[in-house]
Amino acid sequence: MAGALEGKRCLVTGGSRGLGLEFCLAFARAGARVSFTWHKHEQDAREARTRIAAIGIEPLVFQGSVTDAAHARKTVDEVVSRWGGIDVLVNNAGITQVLPIALLEEEDWDLVMDVNVKGAYLCSRAALRHMIKARSGRILNVGAFSSERVIESPVHFAAAKSALRGFTEALAREVGRYGVTVNLIAPGMLDVGMTQMLPQHRIDEYISQCALGRLGKAEEIARQAVFLVSDACSFMTGAKVVADGGL
Amino acid sequence: MSQPAGTDERLLHRTTSLCRICKNGIPARIVALPDHSVWMRKECPRHGPQEVRLAGDAEWYERTRAVRPLPAPPPRVAREVTHGCPFDCGPCTSHTQKIRLPVVTITSTCNLECPICYVINKNQNPYDMGVEDFRRLLDHLVRDHGGELDLINITGGEPTLHPHFLDFLELCHEAGIHRVSICTNGIRLAQEEHLVRRLAELKGRVALSFDSFETEADYALQGAHLVDLKLRCLDLLEKYDVDTTLIPVMTRGVNDHEIGRILEMSFRRPNVRHAEVHIITFTGQGGTTFDRRTRMTMDEVLARISETTGGLLGPGDWVSSPCAHPLCYQIAYLLVDPDGGRPIPFTRFLARETLYECLDDHLYLEPSPRLQNALQDAINRLWSEGGDGAERTLTLLKGLLRRMFPSDRPITRAEALRVAERAAKAVYVHSHMDEETFDVERAAQCCDSNCYPDGTSIPVCNYNVLYREKEPRFNARPKEWNERSGGRMIFELPVVQKG
Repeated sequence: MAGALEGKRCLVTGGSRGLGLEFCLAFARAGARVSFTWHKHEQDAREARTRIAAIGIEPLVFQGSVTDAAHARKTVDEVVSRWGGIDVLVNNAGITQVLPIALLEEEDWDLVMDVNVKGAYLCSRAALRHMIKARSGRILNVGAFSSERVIESPVHFAAAKSALRGFTEALAREVGRYGVTVNLIAPGMLDVGMTQMLPQHRIDEYISQCALGRLGKAEEIARQAVFLVSDACSFMTGAKVVADGGL
Repeated sequence: MSQPAGTDERLLHRTTSLCRICKNGIPARIVALPDHSVWMRKECPRHGPQEVRLAGDAEWYERTRAVRPLPAPPPRVAREVTHGCPFDCGPCTSHTQKIRLPVVTITSTCNLECPICYVINKNQNPYDMGVEDFRRLLDHLVRDHGGELDLINITGGEPTLHPHFLDFLELCHEAGIHRVSICTNGIRLAQEEHLVRRLAELKGRVALSFDSFETEADYALQGAHLVDLKLRCLDLLEKYDVDTTLIPVMTRGVNDHEIGRILEMSFRRPNVRHAEVHIITFTGQGGTTFDRRTRMTMDEVLARISETTGGLLGPGDWVSSPCAHPLCYQIAYLLVDPDGGRPIPFTRFLARETLYECLDDHLYLEPSPRLQNALQDAINRLWSEGGDGAERTLTLLKGLLRRMFPSDRPITRAEALRVAERAAKAVYVHSHMDEETFDVERAAQCCDSNCYPDGTSIPVCNYNVLYREKEPRFNARPKEWNERSGGRMIFELPVVQKG
């Protein structure tokens, strides 16, 4: 994948840890210029910056919430200002809460929908202003296997990730004529992030049902993402790529 | 306390017990009297009729005894039945439960002489288990129980006096046993903070004896003034976040009025995971001569817990252990309020049968699909049907879920489990037997066993009543089989029916 993203100007939301950090590292190894946003954990952001810089790419780093329209706009504008444009946006920032419907209050619903769906909308809108002008761009949304399969999942999280599918398909249709592609990658259960907190029996159940018989690795998803945002992926838009090990 | 035998008593069941003098096996009848009390009656051909009170409430006794533990025979038996339970331990072919709590006695040395001590120790020419013997013992346990074994209890004497007790902890972890508890009086831990720090680093657990807050009761039970020292020990265990079980021994008229206060302390201290209330038993170097008027029955202890906790834990909040005889273990789980409010017994939002099923094949409540489904059902029922305390229970459960699964950053599974464990505190009431109360039905279903390097094991009550006094490791003058416990007297080893 070396050189697949040579010179591409990329922004990854929620890029300081977990899958988001793997995207940043993979993009940097593929020759891209990388920027990322983080919200709450400064130490993670500092370490992420160091790891990306070690590849030879000095990243741009922005703190803020993707639910804040001003933050989204300023971040994109700063990337454009520093690098002269933006080629790739990965809407990775997201949260979940493990709550059954009985305990799921309106504020919980709003928070998950805001971060996962509204955040993608705000960042995409900010980036598209420049991508449409440039008649080129790649937007990659990060979904989840829980929106694709009947599987135990908090309903607001599953709803948010399903909403991202509709968002992806509709936006792809709308901006395709400007050379902008919009795709979605839906990872299965990975060895990072929320999986670390799940009871072992949930993980065992996943592994027993998954054709490949194991959890996914974040770097495997990141390698697919490199292709999806590269020039090589030129005739795919509005697509959903499920990477769940064959559930 | 003696009750004359009469025609108006009702036979509940028959069993085999021991003579309280010669410890010979003798038939026993368990009867209910018109006042509803339950008594064991037996007669030794040489030492005459004997009786002991087993319960205050026959209805409770019958209902509790009717619960059958899940069948789980030992994976390997060491001995065929020759003499009958409890004289063929190893285990023998009549034993019906595998080991859930292996107990390993690593030293005969103790720095106390507790008047209620139910084992025999030896400080002169003491026994300390060697590292190689400990390794062999672990090899046997792991071979027999595989990945199912995640719990071991290291005891003594006072195990912290063993020069290698911390090394043993590491060996247990290397063998894949992660819940390693040290059963201690806490003296060394209170005096040597570095040991507590090291225990925390090794993720060791402490089972701390704690019988009283009161000077007089403390002295009566432990033979020393230890309240301040125990509290210092608890402070250090909390400081280093060492998972702790409090073990108070309940005695009538000495400390039974304090049980509520001890339990409240266990609920309040975040690192205290369980309280395991032991009921006074009259075995060992201290217990044998302790005032027998202090004897309590299981149902009396449960009633005292209800009284002294202001009804926090009532009669309906207890379940039996699926792994042991129901008269040996009663268990209650409580959901703790992190803001210091009154805990909520699980049985206020889960049916007792459900809690029993969730205990499944374990001595302690473990995360499982069954438990997850049960809690999910409980939440939905409370939410849809409401009822007393429903809102508060839902708030506490939601807070627990938020702490177990924080949305702003993942925590590890082990951290999530620890959050859950600290939010759900358990109270175990554990009734050991002595020669007076001995009942082979209970002995044959015991899941706590003293384990040896050669792979054999002896159920703890059998060990305390019969076997330990015969081991040279623990006795300057060990007794022989057929030697009367109170002095030398010849009698034939009894042959009784299989347990």
